[in-house]
Amino acid sequence: MKKPLLETILDPQNLSVRFQPIFRIGDAENRVHSVEALIRGPRGTPFESALILFDYVRRKREERAVDHACLAAIFAEAVHLPPEFRINVNVHAATLGQQPGFVDSFRQLAKKHALSLDRFTVEIVEYAPTCDIPELAHTIAQLREARIRVALDDVGLGQSNYRMMLDCHPEYFKLDAYFVRGLKDDSKRRAVVESVVAFGRALQSAVVAEGAESMEDIAMLAEMGVEFVQCNLLCPAVTLEELLVSGVVGRAAPRLTLSADMKRLVRQAVDIAASVESPALSLNSARWVGRSRTS
Amino acid sequence: MNNRILIVDDDDQLVEAYRDYLSGLGYPVDTAGEIEEAQTLMSHFSYSVVITDLRLSRLSFGGLELVKFVRSLAIPTRVVVLTAYGWPELKAEASNQGVDAFLRKPMRLSDLAKTVEILSGANA
Repeated sequence: MKKPLLETILDPQNLSVRFQPIFRIGDAENRVHSVEALIRGPRGTPFESALILFDYVRRKREERAVDHACLAAIFAEAVHLPPEFRINVNVHAATLGQQPGFVDSFRQLAKKHALSLDRFTVEIVEYAPTCDIPELAHTIAQLREARIRVALDDVGLGQSNYRMMLDCHPEYFKLDAYFVRGLKDDSKRRAVVESVVAFGRALQSAVVAEGAESMEDIAMLAEMGVEFVQCNLLCPAVTLEELLVSGVVGRAAPRLTLSADMKRLVRQAVDIAASVESPALSLNSARWVGRSRTS
Repeated sequence: MNNRILIVDDDDQLVEAYRDYLSGLGYPVDTAGEIEEAQTLMSHFSYSVVITDLRLSRLSFGGLELVKFVRSLAIPTRVVVLTAYGWPELKAEASNQGVDAFLRKPMRLSDLAKTVEILSGANA
């Protein structure tokens, strides 16, 4: 019999981890605020792609088991990250909403690897409309008690809608790349970004824009009050080794072109985010110069 | 339409045999051992021909479930169903479900290849 794919995936040895920095924008230097840990499936198979891997996992309705395998793989690598880095991990809402003991098992993993819980942000991803919101809210409360922050991923698409934005009340809204690409030349997309930024301000949630494709778009995002950017332009998802030797840390960053008004707006946004900011590393470069372009 | 082939069977050895043979003839081949794996691949890649065992994922007629999925996608992918059973009723049902070819196991690999050639040619 062929070994079931799920069995292969549930072995953390068959999963690999990439890290993609999230940059704070708009202040004197772009800085790394955190790194998102991203999973890749069994090497050399179509399921190495996270998109395909998690499509399969959701079809199997095995989000819970696979989320745990992914966390085990991530924690094993995260021990080698500089302690200044915050660490973002993706967890399905179905996992948070269906497993009362999630936070305890997260805590045990952190303890096993001697990682402080307050370094983590759990990014909630959701594709199914069947999530148990009260149970999810309960788990989010437990995460906060453990000093783990919460982000809502893919804001604006699918189940990451206004209801989830309200019910999760995350520290971060991660605005999907769909609304960010080509922002500078698209007033309709700018209108979406403005609305999410305004909503974030009302809820005291910071906005992370994903997928910007030009420095002009990043400058525009800063002008509009977006505080964080995560995109391949600045740094793609890379292995731990590549991240540590890439030159992303330390070199002077190209300054974004900001008008006085833009700077004022950015400062307001920065003030809002100040309470959730961590010690950050200075960047070597705002543009990715590493050898690998794995993403 | 490309000539990419998807082989779906939970028998590891048969999958390898089909893959080696068809790859040797120049077809790009992916494999899956269960319905969900096959559905995922079909959602992300285009296949000219899908070859599936009738009995799949412990379901006696799991292959027909997969055929329903293929047809729900409204794509021109051709489907070959393999089975050790030879019931006429089963062939009729498979045909009703939109199966393009029905091969009885064990069959010669050359027969499988000929069927794939005809079906993928029809898709060209």
